[in-house]
Amino acid sequence: MIPGSSVASKEDAVISIRDLKFSYEGGVQALAGVNLDIKRGEYVAIVGGNGSGKTTLAKNIIGLLKSASGTVLVHGALASEQKIASLARVVGYAFQNPDHQLFCSSVSDEVRFGPRNQGIPEQEVERRMQHALEAMNLMALKDKPPLSLTLSARRRISIASVIAMDPQVLILDEPTTGLDMRESDDLMASIGGLNAEGRTIILITHDMKLVAKYAHRVVVMSEGRVVLDADPIGVFSDLDVLLSSKLVPPPVTRLAYRLSALGVPRNVLSPEELVFRLIQARGGAK
Amino acid sequence: MTGFVDLYSEADTFLHKMDPRVKILAVLLISVLALILSTLYSLLVLLAFIFLLLFLARATLSRTVFALKFVLRFMVLIIVLWPIFDPAGNHVLGSLGPITITEQAIWRGVTSAARVGCLATVWYILLFTTSQRDLVRALVKLGVRFDIGLTLAISLRFLPTFSALVESIKDAQRARGLELGRGGLVKRARNYVAVLVPTIVSALKTADTLSLALQSRAYGARADRTYLRELKMRASDGIALGSLVAIFVLVASARLVLQVHI
Amino acid sequence: METTPALLLRNVRFRHSSSKSWALDDVSLEVHKGHFVSILGSNGAGKSTICMLANGLVPHAIKGELQGSVETFGVDVANRSVAELSTRVGMVFQEPESQLFCMSVEEEVAFGPENLGVPREQIRERVEWSLELVGMTGYNDRSPFSLSGGQKQRVAIAAALSMRPDMLVLDEPAYALDPLGRIELYKVLRELKDRHGMTVLLAERDAEEASLYSDQVVLMEAGRVVASGPPRNVLRDTKMLASLGITPPQICEVSELLRSRVPGSNFSFTSVDEAEQAIIEEFAVRRRRESA
Repeated sequence: MIPGSSVASKEDAVISIRDLKFSYEGGVQALAGVNLDIKRGEYVAIVGGNGSGKTTLAKNIIGLLKSASGTVLVHGALASEQKIASLARVVGYAFQNPDHQLFCSSVSDEVRFGPRNQGIPEQEVERRMQHALEAMNLMALKDKPPLSLTLSARRRISIASVIAMDPQVLILDEPTTGLDMRESDDLMASIGGLNAEGRTIILITHDMKLVAKYAHRVVVMSEGRVVLDADPIGVFSDLDVLLSSKLVPPPVTRLAYRLSALGVPRNVLSPEELVFRLIQARGGAK
Repeated sequence: MTGFVDLYSEADTFLHKMDPRVKILAVLLISVLALILSTLYSLLVLLAFIFLLLFLARATLSRTVFALKFVLRFMVLIIVLWPIFDPAGNHVLGSLGPITITEQAIWRGVTSAARVGCLATVWYILLFTTSQRDLVRALVKLGVRFDIGLTLAISLRFLPTFSALVESIKDAQRARGLELGRGGLVKRARNYVAVLVPTIVSALKTADTLSLALQSRAYGARADRTYLRELKMRASDGIALGSLVAIFVLVASARLVLQVHI
Repeated sequence: METTPALLLRNVRFRHSSSKSWALDDVSLEVHKGHFVSILGSNGAGKSTICMLANGLVPHAIKGELQGSVETFGVDVANRSVAELSTRVGMVFQEPESQLFCMSVEEEVAFGPENLGVPREQIRERVEWSLELVGMTGYNDRSPFSLSGGQKQRVAIAAALSMRPDMLVLDEPAYALDPLGRIELYKVLRELKDRHGMTVLLAERDAEEASLYSDQVVLMEAGRVVASGPPRNVLRDTKMLASLGITPPQICEVSELLRSRVPGSNFSFTSVDEAEQAIIEEFAVRRRRESA
């Protein structure tokens, strides 16, 4: 049992993974026994360096990869026994490179693609498309060709096209790669909106600054295993685990460690917090 | 995933160390021989020689069979179908309606299959004993223009990359509910647009950056570019090539000029 | 003292032939020889365009209208081919996969000098030298497909170095890399500058590493230079950085917040080490004052 993890009963957990092992053809073992429960409505970040297994785990959840060892339950049913298309109704996966998905001549067509594949009647498809475009702030670009738009827009379109399938869980693979700060903040705000709507958000990333800012729960993976599962404060307290998992703690956390002699706690997540703690520890400014 | 075209297996055999230009020429000569020899016996002799080469290259039979499984299936198909479509011959074994099976036709089918086997196996040996890098280098040395050789090299280099890319794109679209194996021919074709368009877009983007990278490294700056890797022909390579040319000339003139039935 | 700048832009304007807006709108900029210069800006600010002006890709490969003067080591870019400029300026792009096109690392690094007609023995030397500089010695026969993102980018740098340039230009080189790959990459660049006197010019969206390694930081927005100078000065106002869409270095944010919350202080650090020292000192001083 990983210290600090909250393993829910099977009824609460929308995704329940037990002892999952997975090896690629050619013998590389990507997952070495993963145990993880994700509850409905959570906002979880799965972090780890290259080769930690986080992408392999995600692909097992949506059925792109099927393992013979261990179980993955999605809404109580075995993922390995379901078709990818039916799992996509519950768990949506927005890939890191939106250009791997875009091919239609208009944004609205792109967003309609998913629900149409599900055989949903046109009226409902339209409704879902509208909702997804609004949620991702794309109404103004509705009729434009996706491939001519900026990366930020293309990423939003890719996510919108996944939301249109109305999944309970949304997995986002490195959603802020290539975005500048404004674009990144805007995107994460939209994703926050999706979480507020009741969707479960799983963020796959190696950007610890992003994790510190947005995630409610952090699952640290290394070499195919979960090595730490706690809220950000808990995770950032354990610098050793982060470093051995090939993750780089944000500069502000590293500074907090160095200033621990001044009474600053180690698990600081933001510059504001550091300054606040520093002043507090020194009894306020004169 | 290194791509299905890379059959090269690194080893220290005589054939591996042979100058790639000599190997290419040898394979071309043997291929022509396979095409001009007309009797099953002579083709079997050639096949035996090719098997000797396989042995020299230390290519295991199981590996060869695996690599050539499509060719083997094709050969079986030839042997089975040939007599059905070739009714000529006087030793009739059976007939059914318009189809007449003769013994001679069966042998002709086997001969054709043996021809295909010779060709496939000797080219396999070339690819098995020569790295892609050396192949392209040899072609350029033999007179192919550098930019054509570079195009070939770049294509080979990007094969595994694009293979992986297509798989990624398929995965990404499957996650949107696209089912690629299902539906009638028309529906399947339309489904593949969802894979084709992103692939082409990615390919074009890669080509763009590639072009800038090539220019940034002075590609085409001078006509007389130098080459780091030199190909050196050894004495043994020369002897091997010389012998092969001699045999080739002998057989070719016997067969084509003197009309000897071999 | 060498006064010819590595790169000099004077009132440069550039517009892509397919576009109506100016990618660069009256940009003047100087990159000193031997300096490490970072160009920071949001997507579309014009950073890539400046990078590609340095070796002539703009305007020779990327067509459009160019106004003003661009000089690389005193040479007018408009009058020289990319091939000629490539002997002084090496270029590294952001996509590791698409800029490595040879079948082995050795071929990739040898490609540039081969094109220049450099004698074989010298090419061999240059290949080994370049690989050593980027920490990839021994990888000669590896195929690019088998390398990690960070390794690919280092090979790309080696492939540029083998042409013996005086300036290395990198357009968002850490784009596709994980945090450790990023750190490795910047270490290599820092060493190139410190130990080999290489001029380094790079474009970035995140100011974190720029603050640590740069001699000069240039801020851009919508094709214009907004500020230029040493990191300590230019990265002081983190709110301004954020408004330009540039991720401010967290340490600079701490510095700014402390300045505003601790009256009479003048914190101005850009790295964790500096911060630690400055903060401990300042609070030790205050403690002494309080007890005095």
